[in-house]
Amino acid sequence: MANENEIKALHDAMVAYKVPGIEAAVNAAREAGMPANDIINAMGDGMTEVGVLFERGKLFLPHVLSAAAGMKKAMEILEPEMKASGTSTQAKASVVMGTVEGDVHDIGKSICSTMLQCAGFDVHDLGRDVPTPQFINEIKGGCTFCGMSALMTTTMTVQKTVIDILKSEGIRDKVTIMIGGAPVTQAYADKIGADIYGESASETTQKAKTLISDA
Amino acid sequence: MGDTAGMAVPHFMASGMGGIRSAGDLVARMEYSKNMKVGKAKDYVAKKLGISTLDIADEYIMRELREELKIGTVTGLPGAPRGIAAKMNIEKLLDIKINSCEKFRGMLR
Amino acid sequence: MADIYTRMGDGKRVTMTKQQILDDMQAGTADAADMAGVPILDANELDKLLDIIADKNRIVGVEPGNEVVLTYDIGQLDFTGDNGNSGNGVDMGRLEAALLHERALGADTFELAHADYSIKPVKPVISNEMQTMEEIQNEIVIPYFYGAMPNMGLYYAPDGPYSNPADLMREFKIEESMAASEAAAEHLARDIEFVGTKIIAAGADGFNFDTTASAGDADCVGTFKGVEALRKACPDAYINVGMAGESVMGIHGMIEYDGQVVAGLYPHQQCKLAEKAGANVFGAVVNTNTSRSLAWNLARSVTFVKECVKESNIPVHVNMGMGVGGIPMCETAPNDAVTRCNKAMVEIAKVDGV
Repeated sequence: MANENEIKALHDAMVAYKVPGIEAAVNAAREAGMPANDIINAMGDGMTEVGVLFERGKLFLPHVLSAAAGMKKAMEILEPEMKASGTSTQAKASVVMGTVEGDVHDIGKSICSTMLQCAGFDVHDLGRDVPTPQFINEIKGGCTFCGMSALMTTTMTVQKTVIDILKSEGIRDKVTIMIGGAPVTQAYADKIGADIYGESASETTQKAKTLISDA
Repeated sequence: MGDTAGMAVPHFMASGMGGIRSAGDLVARMEYSKNMKVGKAKDYVAKKLGISTLDIADEYIMRELREELKIGTVTGLPGAPRGIAAKMNIEKLLDIKINSCEKFRGMLR
Repeated sequence: MADIYTRMGDGKRVTMTKQQILDDMQAGTADAADMAGVPILDANELDKLLDIIADKNRIVGVEPGNEVVLTYDIGQLDFTGDNGNSGNGVDMGRLEAALLHERALGADTFELAHADYSIKPVKPVISNEMQTMEEIQNEIVIPYFYGAMPNMGLYYAPDGPYSNPADLMREFKIEESMAASEAAAEHLARDIEFVGTKIIAAGADGFNFDTTASAGDADCVGTFKGVEALRKACPDAYINVGMAGESVMGIHGMIEYDGQVVAGLYPHQQCKLAEKAGANVFGAVVNTNTSRSLAWNLARSVTFVKECVKESNIPVHVNMGMGVGGIPMCETAPNDAVTRCNKAMVEIAKVDGV
């Protein structure tokens, strides 16, 4: 594999989550002639690993954010090269995130928003107890992913309500619906017609990334 | 134990001591008041009751014993102590203090 | 041939072969061992677990003499609550619910709970709770606690005075985020002491802290500090500290209790800090993965809890409700799965209570 050593160094630097270390790995990769896109992809894989380590209690949220800050720094370094080669530096997609109306639990949703942001998505986090029309408005405004969290069996039904409204307004196909939360399961996602069920924040992010790359 | 509707029954059937059907409340009191692990708590209660640790979860044996010791029973038994009165008898039996009994005594003149 | 009826983590019934169950058990115990740095289940324990899972009977139970204490959380809300807290929706008084648990449902302890089941909303209605506690203590025999979740999320905007740390983190305001968590933890500790001392003064046997650390590591530290203050004020109170998950989520990342960073601690480490804070009983929690089998989830849960029981100086009551302790994430959790999880926790993990 080309640039095998650089790919490993970039991955390891992300997992070590120190901004100077990430910056150094990016500069070394550039000096070795590694294309900017490949550098970003290698860092993206490292970021996925950081998400998994967070969920396994090996890394904590400040570490995740430090790795994300390193990623941001890398994008600044790589931006001139990407612009010159006509490669997009745009976000992967715009995502509206929120805990559905009537539900005030937002820790899991917030972590998922953070992971998606770290993975290069433009995240519009509406918080918790989000009025249903706000999800619809964000989708009409251009968000192509919609993530809804519910921690209670009484509120998970709102996820279906949002999907039903999107269908009735003829815009269901414009958005990828992601759902999660303690009582939510794959079977429920299938039942209400959601596109992605996330058992965890990192799984949701990984599925969203895969969907983008397969598109 | 968890919070799902009807969850109490299978847990009670599978491993529960049975509360005041047997001596579960007494074992619980020793776990909480003296930090005793379940084996030690059962030994302590069995010794105080004068029966074996196997018998303290036996409803047949404990039904009569609880009535005799006046420490509360599951059935509505007219005249039998319940609430504070039963707990005051438990205090003596287990050689512990129970908060609600202390507060009750504190209210007497 | 796939001839053993078993369950997935969402409760769905599936059939598996003995080998498939064994493979899942081995993967489950390995996952827990890798996460927490604890030993995997040994061959005898895996054999015993396989026997329990593959038992042909619908219901299984422990051998006579192996019974344990059965404690409850959420109080009367299991009867009176809506399905948001998996309640039956049967309205009744709190006294009736408590006595029904004592006399009909084999409860070894029970608790009084407020509909919001969180420390913060109890503060303004504490006199009402004290009055009800006094009334029920006059009637009940089993240890009767007050129960609530620390639920530190309620101290963050828009419900509370502190900014949301996760939002601040996303804006890379890491120090501000940590400061918000620390301030909220101090506030939570003060409220725990306030509510706890009042309800003990009303005759409660003790306090049950349910889902500690649900808002992460600062929630955990705030609760431990509150428990410490409550223990100092009420030396004889029964205190139960139950957790929210197998690992303490590191939202702050560096906040400490008793000189130890709490983020990333597992049940066998959490129990030691709970004991230091003043708990009498520790409630270990392991969450269920809905996409994995009962065999995977139960082997994983037993691995965490067994080490916790071994390491703990105080009794360990494993949390075994909807979606925890290997039990499927399902409102009507199948009895075959519930009783298998129960027996495994008692006879393999050797818990002191459920």
